[in-house]
Amino acid sequence: MASNAAVPFWRSAGMTYITYSNLCANLVRQCLKEPYKSEALNREKVHFSVSQWVDGKPQKPSN
Amino acid sequence: MAMAALRREGRRFAVPLISPLRSSLAPSEYETMEQAVSGARSISTQIVRNRMKSVRNIQKITKAMKMVAASKLRAIQTRAEKSRGLWQPFTALLGDTPSVDVKKNVIVTVSSDKGLCGGINSTSVKISRGLYKVNSGPEKESKYVILGEKAKAQLVRDSKKDIQLIITEWQKNPLNYTQVAVLADDILKNVEYDALRIVFNKFQSVVSFLPTTTTVLSPEVVEREAEAGGKLGELDSYEIEGGETKSEVLQNLTEFQFSCVMFNAVLENACSEQGARMSAMDSSSRNAGDMLDRLTLTYNRTRQASITTELIEIISGASALQG
Repeated sequence: MASNAAVPFWRSAGMTYITYSNLCANLVRQCLKEPYKSEALNREKVHFSVSQWVDGKPQKPSN
Repeated sequence: MAMAALRREGRRFAVPLISPLRSSLAPSEYETMEQAVSGARSISTQIVRNRMKSVRNIQKITKAMKMVAASKLRAIQTRAEKSRGLWQPFTALLGDTPSVDVKKNVIVTVSSDKGLCGGINSTSVKISRGLYKVNSGPEKESKYVILGEKAKAQLVRDSKKDIQLIITEWQKNPLNYTQVAVLADDILKNVEYDALRIVFNKFQSVVSFLPTTTTVLSPEVVEREAEAGGKLGELDSYEIEGGETKSEVLQNLTEFQFSCVMFNAVLENACSEQGARMSAMDSSSRNAGDMLDRLTLTYNRTRQASITTELIEIISGASALQG
């Protein structure tokens, strides 16, 4: 069992719990049949832009 | 009275050099300055007509915006109310500790990307500034994480140095948990925190929003507070399944709590935004209606006055010929 290790395998891969649970949720969604599958996948669109600020200046924006 | 106002307006455009001061007057001030203008006889009503047309167009636009906001509000309101079930268990378990005293504060300000929605963005900015002041002190640092264009515009002006992260354009698609989770993940990865304070407008009804803060503590702080007792002290009475240690569970819990609270905050804020936009647009279309009424009255009176003048002229001319 991976959970018996000092840290769970996904955390040692640099993921947070959010990423991990999202990945799992996505896997479950892909188990759906059509047409529900594409509907569910379409619903979950991700789009935003992040910009880091250091000392009052924006760094290069990333997406 | 109104005639004099119009006369002056007509003259103003014809002879702008004579009275350059008057052009800066507000419409209500016209009526207080009654002066007969010599030599002005027939008045052009063109300007008033144009003004009426533009007011009517603006009214149409604001009415349409109100409709759009109302329909969007209905869709998002049910989602926001449902999403409250996501953070309530967390509050039951961990309690809400807005007054916790920690070193690294991160203030997450939720605002909208678009304007024309009353004062909801300024309220959340104001509350964020207040939190910043309350939590600042020696050996402490507070940072802002800003969601949305509008809070960015306000906070960039005076708190540039303390901004850590700005996230915009997150309202392009309909809001969903995946997106908010990715967003929360980005925030967690990019800031160091002892306490995350999320500021948003909680939807109360279409006309009232409560500026709200929710505090998410880091696992270390949760443990420290748990030792101090209180609500968090009860955590020890829970049994932990599996081989995970308490700190691991707490870390997972905090991360998940943050994403859930963010999801709710974002939805509530979007809901309040639409509500505020609705009432703002409602009052502006009412104002446009009032303005239009006043303008129509002025316009009709002037028209009537000029007709009367012409009639008098014709009649007196005719009677002069007869006599």
